[in-house]
Amino acid sequence: MSLFFTIAVVVLIFLIIFQIAKAAEYVAVLKGEQKSNRQQNKINAFLMISFLVLGLIGVYWSNELFYSKTVMPIGAASDHGEKYDQMFTWTIIITGIVFFVTQILLFWFAYRYQHNDNRKVYFFPHNNTLELIWTVVPAIALTVLVVIGLRNWFAMTSAAPKNAMEVEVVGKQFGWLYRYPGRDHKFGQTFYRVIDDGANNPLGQIWRDSAALNLHADPANFDDVMPTTLYLVKNRPVKMIINSRDVVHDVGLIHFRMKMDAVPGIPTTIWFTPTLTTKEMQEKTGNPNFQYEITCDQMCGNGHYSMRGVIVVVTQAEFDAWLSQQKPNYYAAFPEKDPANKVQVATPPTNPNTGDTSRLRGTSGNPVGNSPNLK
Amino acid sequence: MSVQRADSNRLHPHKFTLWVAIGSIIMMFAALTSAYIVRHAQQNWLEFEMPKVFWYSTVVIIISSITIHLSLKAFRARERLRYRMLLGITALLGVLFAILQGFGFYDLYSRGIQIIGDGSNPSASFLGIITGLHVVHVLGGVVALLIFFIRAYSTRIKTYDSTPQEILSVYWHFVDILWIYLFIFFHLAG
Amino acid sequence: MSNEAILQTGVGGAHTAGVHEEHHEHHHHETFITKYIFSQDHKMIAKQFLITGMVWAVIGGAMSLLFRWQLGYPNEPLPMWVQDILGKWWVKDGHITPEAYYALVTTHGTVLIFFVLTAGLSGTFANLLIPLQVGARDMASPLMNMLSYWFFFTASIVMLSSMFVETGPFSGGWTAYPPLSALGDASPGSKTGMDLWLIAMALFVVSQLLAGLNYISTVLNMRTKGMSMTRLPLTIWGLFFTAILGVLSFPVLFSGFILLIFDRNFGTSFYLSDIFISGVGPLPHEGGSPILYQHLFWFLGHPEVYIIILPAMGIVSEIMSINARKPIFGYMAMVGSLFAIAVLSFLVWAHHMFVSGLNPFLGSIFVLLTLLIAVPSAIKVFNWLTTLWRGNIRFTPAMLFAIGFVSIFISGGLTGIFLGNSALDIHLHDTYFVIAHFHLVMGVAAMFGMFAGVYHWYPKMYGRYMNNTLAYIHFWLTMIGAYLIFWPMHYQGFAGMPRRYYDYTPWVSFDHFEGLNRFMSTVAIIVFSVQILFLFNFFYSIWKGRKVRTQNPWGANTLEWTTPIKPGHGNWTGEIPEVHRWPYDYGKDNREFIPQTTPVGADENIH
Ligand code: HEM
Ligand SMILES: [Cu+2]
Ligand SMILES: [Cu+2]
Repeated sequence: MSLFFTIAVVVLIFLIIFQIAKAAEYVAVLKGEQKSNRQQNKINAFLMISFLVLGLIGVYWSNELFYSKTVMPIGAASDHGEKYDQMFTWTIIITGIVFFVTQILLFWFAYRYQHNDNRKVYFFPHNNTLELIWTVVPAIALTVLVVIGLRNWFAMTSAAPKNAMEVEVVGKQFGWLYRYPGRDHKFGQTFYRVIDDGANNPLGQIWRDSAALNLHADPANFDDVMPTTLYLVKNRPVKMIINSRDVVHDVGLIHFRMKMDAVPGIPTTIWFTPTLTTKEMQEKTGNPNFQYEITCDQMCGNGHYSMRGVIVVVTQAEFDAWLSQQKPNYYAAFPEKDPANKVQVATPPTNPNTGDTSRLRGTSGNPVGNSPNLK
Repeated sequence: MSVQRADSNRLHPHKFTLWVAIGSIIMMFAALTSAYIVRHAQQNWLEFEMPKVFWYSTVVIIISSITIHLSLKAFRARERLRYRMLLGITALLGVLFAILQGFGFYDLYSRGIQIIGDGSNPSASFLGIITGLHVVHVLGGVVALLIFFIRAYSTRIKTYDSTPQEILSVYWHFVDILWIYLFIFFHLAG
Repeated sequence: MSNEAILQTGVGGAHTAGVHEEHHEHHHHETFITKYIFSQDHKMIAKQFLITGMVWAVIGGAMSLLFRWQLGYPNEPLPMWVQDILGKWWVKDGHITPEAYYALVTTHGTVLIFFVLTAGLSGTFANLLIPLQVGARDMASPLMNMLSYWFFFTASIVMLSSMFVETGPFSGGWTAYPPLSALGDASPGSKTGMDLWLIAMALFVVSQLLAGLNYISTVLNMRTKGMSMTRLPLTIWGLFFTAILGVLSFPVLFSGFILLIFDRNFGTSFYLSDIFISGVGPLPHEGGSPILYQHLFWFLGHPEVYIIILPAMGIVSEIMSINARKPIFGYMAMVGSLFAIAVLSFLVWAHHMFVSGLNPFLGSIFVLLTLLIAVPSAIKVFNWLTTLWRGNIRFTPAMLFAIGFVSIFISGGLTGIFLGNSALDIHLHDTYFVIAHFHLVMGVAAMFGMFAGVYHWYPKMYGRYMNNTLAYIHFWLTMIGAYLIFWPMHYQGFAGMPRRYYDYTPWVSFDHFEGLNRFMSTVAIIVFSVQILFLFNFFYSIWKGRKVRTQNPWGANTLEWTTPIKPGHGNWTGEIPEVHRWPYDYGKDNREFIPQTTPVGADENIH
């Protein structure tokens, strides 16, 4: 019913518009084409200037409405991010000036030089000085931006500092896997052919010899931990080694202003230093539900939108406490090797995956989505 | 209706079109050979020797360039029989070239170097695809040669304008040079 | 052309016809089929491209409404009749499924970029205008021209048929990055749907190559007497550079596709390495690089965006000068900047790959080159502004769209400066900021160029006018709507909101854009219905529009207005006119306009 109603209304509107349009054409013929053209010209010139005025108001208004919803007013939560925000401001200022000047000139000229029988147009085919000016001025403005930009670019893509903590982030359809190197500060080797989700080996850590594949167990693997949430330390640089198990994904870290593709077969890296803990961000934003989220920014299949990861930034002390509770993935795969299972300990073993993530899970109510259809 | 041109010694439009098309084909092979170089710089690249038979195919296609050149000369000299014969020889040489390339692939296959399928290495796959595409261009030329060849039997000759023949021979020389480029490329880069 | 010419079409561009100029006597008898279907008249082929493009624009636009519905109204089921049309594969529980969402996004992108804005725009106007404005009877090879359309048509059919396969159409994004696009196990859309997508695109590439070869050789070889290159209208320059870009970049895309086809079907490993698919296991491929495809793709992909915009720039320059009754400012600078853009567009492709793990030093080179390309764009904008300055502006519908084009192009071009600066691109890459950028600078701007062209040359195509009032309504609502939809998207981009997400509700960081999303989707629906108004106007006016009674209704200088009101095949009835001057003598020596065919007066200083 409502469908027919909508269609009827739409058709009616169309018919009315059409009738008006047709009538206008007849009137034009009656009045004489010149006269009606003149009138139409006036109306459109007026609309041009109105569009400019309303548009400028709209620009202001939309900024009022939406700027606060972006991540810019909160400020960045990493050292690279602070540089980013400065550069962003400069770029907004420069492009903003150009935007306002050109748009105002465009619509103003359109209005000001609307057709008038008495006006003589100015035959002005070219002028070298003018053309030189607007080649050189944009070139200079762009050079400034490039210089700022490349300085930041090289800073952001430089080699990670020596004291950086290393974590591995691996994308798969559809979720993220994290790995810390454990006590030995060394990641064990992995090979994609020994990946086995069922046997607790989602990264293909090589912890068994295999003659067929010519592999030797890598003891560096035995203490690597794989939590379900990524913990980072405030004011400590972190280097992410990014990889993918299947298709191209992308680690997007909006609050740290960082992003890097995860390419199967070709590991990539980024580094940055978080400057605010999750708690501090929650206070700063006034949003108790605030979380650092990892987005996937490269189309990776039908569950792309659900590749949500969570980062918790904590202080070094909190981090150490948390890490000491994490159990190496190796023990999950080979429970018999776990010293905790050999020696009877009074305290029940902690589940490596809950640590203090409970706080974080509880607030959002959204588990890390692995299924393409969340509905 | 006459076509007015500002100056009459401008390139014939169809000839010109061919040159642009050649530019286009060059871009295609340039893309593939640069992809080859990029890939070659990474690890896991299978080194192998090029099939010997490629030397013979190179000779064959160079000879065919000579024969088509002679056929054009014959056409201009209005020696129809000679023209037709040389055209036919060129077409045959083109086919022979394609067959020799096929032998080259077979040679690789018999050495256990796979171009496609599980266990194929990009180095062989690139070689296969690039030379394969080149053969397709040669065979395209052969089809054109055959059309000319058949038309050379037709008795009503309307024109002695040699533009079509020139266009064909430019194309043929082009695929010849393209092969020589690829051949040298594979030897240097491979 | 005779059968002979058909025979003469060799393979691989070995064109051999040598004689057909000499026998241009008018067609003896045209049947319906030779006149309307397998026509070799460039004007008819132009209309075929235009109308096919319009059909695709409607399909592609309707697709965007479907996925915008999902974003704007995530909790409301689609209207029942829409559900009924779409059927079970597409809709579950009243919502389009994620598979359908991604299929729609992908097809929308592919179709609008390639079928509408490439074939529909340059196909239409290159075919219509090149022979008419350079003074030629037809294209260098009318047969190739016809083939180009029919390859495009076949590509369309194949693309359309991919909508109906069981595993669904391709759904990996218009850029079709492998491994996703290479592995049917990674995504159902990468099965048969992707095969059809590749076939359609390959046919499309062939169509563009045939067309481009023809455009280039027509412009260079078939100009009438006196039409030196520097007397060409800017429309022709725009179309000419477009054709060059196409001819040099499409083959590269083709190479990329060939390697992809081999990876998909013949077990090679060009793009694939170290892949484990959940539920399937490890794949045998080793040693490939997905990045290689990205290089090959963007080597076309970036020129492609200029393939789309250059014809629009040309059209706008021409229309702006005619309706400001004033010469285009800086003709040589306009040509020069087109040239600079064309050259630079081959040297900036990696700016789409700043965060793909590209070597930072290489990245910095691409930053430099990318921002360099902003300079010629700036020159063009300032030249358009100066063209309006002290003119005497008639707001014909075409002129409105030309002015709208400049406004939108500025807005979208400036955001390119953010994206081209690699450090700033990090946060903005693959967010809605990019969507806003390219929809304004390419999507809407090129559409505006196309509308301007259609309104302006409609009298030449059909001998009638379109209705002005409808056109004004069309323009203003579209202009307002375009800004309302795409302006706020920049803010979503600042918030880091990723593109190509089916559902934002689980995300803490993006959930609060729900209201804005609803607003944009609503406006999109309205703007789409306004386009129906245009379509109606277009088709209605073919039969019922006001008749054109003068040969030169806009008082323009170029050659197409020296042909009869409804030109036949061959364009001019007598001799092709000779050209004596550049096409922009408006308002010179107190004369409103001086057509190109007017000889230069004795005391006139020639430009
Ligand atoms: C002022 C000059 C311009 C600059 C500096 C520029 C820069 C860029 C950059 C760096 C990107 C990549 C953004 C990203 O993915 O992170 C981009 C995307 C894009 N640009 Fe531009 N652009 C400019 C003008 C144009 C023009 C004139 C067009 C089209 C006519 C255009 C069309 C596009 C398209 C279609 C994309 C998105 C492709 C995709 O990822 O799907 N750009 N631009
Ligand atoms: Cu993803
Ligand atoms: Cu680009």
